[in-house]
Amino acid sequence: MTRPVPAFALTLAALVALALALPFLVNRGLVFLAGLVAINAVLGLSFNLLFSTAGLLSFGQAAFSAAGAYAAALLLLRLPEVPFLAALAASALAGAGLAVAIGLVALRRTEGVYFAVLTLAFSELVHVVLAKTSLFGRNDGLTGIPRPRLSYGLGSVDLAVGDRYYVLVILVTAATAAALWWVTRSRLGRAFRAIRLDAMRAAYLGIDVRRRRLQAFAIAGAATGLAGALAAPLTSIVSPDLAHWGESTKPILFTLLGGAGVFWGPAVGAVVYAAVEYATRSLAGASDLITGALLLAVVLAVPGGILGSALRLARRGRARPAPRAAPAPAPAGGAP
Amino acid sequence: MISRRTLLAGGAGTALALSARPRIVVGQTNEPIRLGVITPLSGLQEFIGSFVRNGAEVAAQMINKAGGVDGRPIVLEVRDEKANPAAATTVARELLGNGITLQLGTISSTVALAYGPLMQAENGINLTCGAGTEKINHENYNPHVFRIGDGTYRMRAQARLMAERFPAVTSWTGIIPDHEYGRTVWAVFVDGLLEFYPAVAGKPPTIIDPIIVPYGSGDYRNFITQAVRTPARGIVNATYGGDAATFFQQARPYGLFRERVLMDAANEFIVANALKDQVPKHWTGSHWYYAGNSSALSRAFAEAYAARTGEAMPMGWAGEAQAAVSAYAAAIAKARSTETPAVIAALKDLTWDTVTGPRTMRREDNQAVKDLEMIQLEPDPGAARGFKVSDYVRVEGAGVIEPPTPGRKMSLRAPA
Amino acid sequence: MLADWPSLLFNALGWGMATFLVAAGLTLIFGILHVLNFSHGGVFMLGAYVAFTLTRWSGTGGLASFLGASLLAALATGVVGLAVDRAVFRRLAAVDGAYVLVATYALLLVCNGVAKLVWGLNVFSAAPPESLMTVTVAGDVVMPHYALFVIGAGLSVYLGLEWLLNRTAAGRMIQAIAADPWMARLLGIDVGLVYTGTVVLGFALAGLAGGLLVANQSLSPDLAGIFIIQAFGVVIVGGMGSIRGAFLASLLLGLVDSFGSALLPSMPGILFFVALALVLLVRPQGLLGSGRLA
Repeated sequence: MTRPVPAFALTLAALVALALALPFLVNRGLVFLAGLVAINAVLGLSFNLLFSTAGLLSFGQAAFSAAGAYAAALLLLRLPEVPFLAALAASALAGAGLAVAIGLVALRRTEGVYFAVLTLAFSELVHVVLAKTSLFGRNDGLTGIPRPRLSYGLGSVDLAVGDRYYVLVILVTAATAAALWWVTRSRLGRAFRAIRLDAMRAAYLGIDVRRRRLQAFAIAGAATGLAGALAAPLTSIVSPDLAHWGESTKPILFTLLGGAGVFWGPAVGAVVYAAVEYATRSLAGASDLITGALLLAVVLAVPGGILGSALRLARRGRARPAPRAAPAPAPAGGAP
Repeated sequence: MISRRTLLAGGAGTALALSARPRIVVGQTNEPIRLGVITPLSGLQEFIGSFVRNGAEVAAQMINKAGGVDGRPIVLEVRDEKANPAAATTVARELLGNGITLQLGTISSTVALAYGPLMQAENGINLTCGAGTEKINHENYNPHVFRIGDGTYRMRAQARLMAERFPAVTSWTGIIPDHEYGRTVWAVFVDGLLEFYPAVAGKPPTIIDPIIVPYGSGDYRNFITQAVRTPARGIVNATYGGDAATFFQQARPYGLFRERVLMDAANEFIVANALKDQVPKHWTGSHWYYAGNSSALSRAFAEAYAARTGEAMPMGWAGEAQAAVSAYAAAIAKARSTETPAVIAALKDLTWDTVTGPRTMRREDNQAVKDLEMIQLEPDPGAARGFKVSDYVRVEGAGVIEPPTPGRKMSLRAPA
Repeated sequence: MLADWPSLLFNALGWGMATFLVAAGLTLIFGILHVLNFSHGGVFMLGAYVAFTLTRWSGTGGLASFLGASLLAALATGVVGLAVDRAVFRRLAAVDGAYVLVATYALLLVCNGVAKLVWGLNVFSAAPPESLMTVTVAGDVVMPHYALFVIGAGLSVYLGLEWLLNRTAAGRMIQAIAADPWMARLLGIDVGLVYTGTVVLGFALAGLAGGLLVANQSLSPDLAGIFIIQAFGVVIVGGMGSIRGAFLASLLLGLVDSFGSALLPSMPGILFFVALALVLLVRPQGLLGSGRLA
C-alpha cells in the first residue's frame, strides 16, 4: 500500500504539471477554461470538506465565493497599491468572516436538510444585498477588473501578459488543495469526522462540537472566498449572479459527480462537468435538459460518483488475483 | 504592425500584403468568415436571444446566397451566454481562443460592459444587439465594443413622439423595474420629456416619481393600486417580457390604462401576443417593425425569417442581429481584411444598409445613428392574434441622439 | 401612503394565499420526507401549462371548466409525483439527503427543459373565467373577483389539509411517521405507502396551484422561479414542514410585502428579505418549528 502523503503529493504534482503544460498544447480559450476548472475544483474540494468530512450540507457556498470575488475586485479597482497576494488573503478572510457570521446562526440547526435551507436563505440575502448596494455596483456589478502585478523586493511581474495569470491560478489553487488535504488529515479533520459520525459521542469525548463545526465552516469559507477572488481578475467581472443560489449547486454537482467519498472526487467532477458543457456548447438551448438528465443519471446510477466508482472497479480488478490484498474502502475524505 | 495593417486596409500596397500576409486579402480566397454569435439561449432572456440567433442565421444565409463577402461565405458559431456575465466571458474567450475575434449578439448590459476590457485585451470586437446601458458609449466607452442599434436615445425619441401626439398630457410617471436597466430608461425618458414638451407642446411637463416594481414577481397588485392613485396622465412602462404581461394582466380589472396614455419602452409584440384582445391600447418601441419597413431587404429578410422559424411577426431583435451581421460584412468588404484593427477602423463612420434602412456608426463613441421606430397596438378581437398595429411612426435618429461623450458620463436633464 | 391600508390589507391577503397555494405541497413533502423539493416550482409551472392548454382546448370561459382544468392539472402532476417517487425518492431513501436534494434540482432543470420543448418560449396569458372578470369596489379598495377566488382557494386548501391531517386516520398516520418513522414502522404502519401518498399529494398540490393561479400571472418558462423564493421563505418562516406555520407565514409575509411596498417604495420586495433574515436570526426553527406537522 502506498503511503498517503507521497501519493497525494505525486497526484498533485502530476496535476500541476499537466495544467502548466496546457498553454503549450491548446489554444488560449481552452487555457482560460482550464483556469476556471481549477477554481471550480477548489470550490468543490472546500464544499466536500464540509460535506464529507464535517457532515454539513451547505447550500450557500455561492455567498462565500461572491464575498471573495467582490473583495478582490474592490481592492484591485479601488486600492491597486495593495499587493495582490495580500488582496487574496483579504478575500479569504472575507469568505471566512462571512462564513462565521452565517455559521453562528445556521449551525444552530445542523440536522440534514435544515442546515441546507438556512444556508440557502442566507446566500439569497447576500445576493439581494449585492444587487442593491452602490459600493458593489448594484445589478451591473463591477467590470474591468485588471489582472494584477506581482511585486516582490526588486522586480515585479505583470500578470496581464500572456498566460502568467493562469500560472498563478494553477499554483494558488494547487496550494489551496494541498491545504484542504492537510486539514482533512490533521487532528482537526479527525475531530470533524468524529462529529460527522456521531456528534453526541464526540461531545461526550470532550470535543466542542459547535466550535469545531464553525471552524470547518470558516475554513471552507476561506478556501471558497480565495477561489472566488482568483476568478475575479480571470473573468474581469463580478456581478450579483455570483451569489445566486444556482451557483451554490455547482460545488455540490462537482462533488457528487466526481465522488464525495474520495478527496479528488470534486476535482474530477469539475473537469467532467466542464467537458460536458464544452462538448454540448453548440447545442445551446438544450442545456437545461442535458445538465438535468446527466445529473439525475449520475445520482441514480453512479451514486459513488465517477472517481469513487472507478476506484472501486479498479480495486475489484486488482483484488481478483489476490483477494487478500484488497484495501478497505476509502473513508470519506480519505485517500487521494 | 497595426499601422501597416491599417494602411493596407486603406487599399494601398496589395502586392505587399499578398506576399506578407495572404490571409488578409479578400477576394483572392474563399475561406469562410467566421463570426461568433453569443446571446442568451437559456434562462430568463432566452426568448430575446432566440430572435438574435435566428436573425443572425437568416442574415448570414441571405448574404451567402448573394455570393458572400467578396466571395467568402459567412459562417456563424453560436454560443449560449446564459444571461450570466461569467458564462458569457467564458464562451467569448473560447471563441477568441479559436481565432473567432468578430463577435455579436449581446443583449445584456452587464455582459456588454464586461466585454470592453476583454475585447481590448484579447483583440476582439463585439457588436451588441440591444444592451440598454448608456455607459457603453459614455463612461465605459471602449473602442472594441459597438452598439449597432438603438442607443439610449430611443427613449428620447419616444418622449418626443408623446410631446407631438399628446401635447395636453403633461404629467408623467413610470412603472420601472428595480434594476439598472429600468432606472436608465426612466432617466432618459424624463430627459426627453423635459426637452421636447417645452419645445414641441410649449408647456413644461410635470414629472411624478415613478413606481419602482420588483423583478420577476408574481403579484403586482400593490403597485397597480399605487399607480391607479397617480395624478399622472401618461405612464411609461419599462417592465419587460413576462413581468410586463403579468403587470398588464393584473392591472386590467383596475382600469389603470383606461384614461391614460401608455408608452411601453421595448416589449414590441411580447405583451400583445400574450394578452391578445385584452391588451390595453398602447405605444411601444421597436428595433425594427417588419411591416413598416418596405425596402426589398426588409421584406426579403422577414420572408426568410418566417420560412425558417414559422414566425410571421418577427420582433426587432432579429433586425438588430441582421444589422450586426451586415455591419461586419460591410466593414470587412471596406477594409478588405478581417483583422481586428482594420475592422474597427472600417466600422467607424461606416454607413451600411440594414432592414431598417441605412445606419451610420458614429466615429466618436461607436454608437449607431438610426431612425427610431414606434408602433401603436390596440385590441382587435377580429384579428388572428387578437390585436392590430394601428399606427407606426419613425423618428429621425439624428434629431434625438445625445452628443458623443466617450469616457464621460452622459449628461441628462433632471426635474427641478 | 398608509392611508391606503385597506387596499394593502386586501392585497396582502391575495399575495399570501397565492403563495400558500404554491407552498402547501412543498411544506407537506418537507414535513414528512424531510426533503426540500427544488423541482416544486417546475411542477407548479407544468401544472399551469397543462391547465392553460386544457382550457384553450375546451374553448369555454366558464368557472367549471377552469376548475376542471386545474383538477386535471393536479392529476397530471400527481402522476408525475408517483413516477418521481418510484424512480428517485425510493431509490435514494438510504443515501445522504444531499443526493435527494441534487436529484430534485436535476428534476427542476428537466421540468424547464420539457416546458420549453413542448410549449416554446412565448409568453402566454390566461384570462380568468368570465364570471371572475368582474370587480367589487368597496370604498377605495378594488377587489377583483379573481383575487377573491384565489384567497378562497388558499383558505380551502389550508382547511382541507388541516382536516386531512388532524381529523382522518390517514392524517394521524402521516403525523406519526413525520414524528418518528421508526416507531411508526414498529406499529405496523406501511411507511413506504404513506411516503408515496405524500409525494403524490405534494406534487398534485403544486399542479393544482399552477392551474388555479394560471390566470394570476403570465405563463412562460420563467414561471418556475416566480413564486419559489417566496414559497421557500414561507416554509422557512413557518417552521420547515408545519402546514399551520406555512399558512401563518404566508399571511405574515404577505403583510410585510404589502406594507413594505408602501413604506419603502424605492426598494420593493426588500422587507420580505429583511423579515426572512430577522426570523432566521431570532428563531431559526421558524414560527411553529417544533416538529409538529399541523
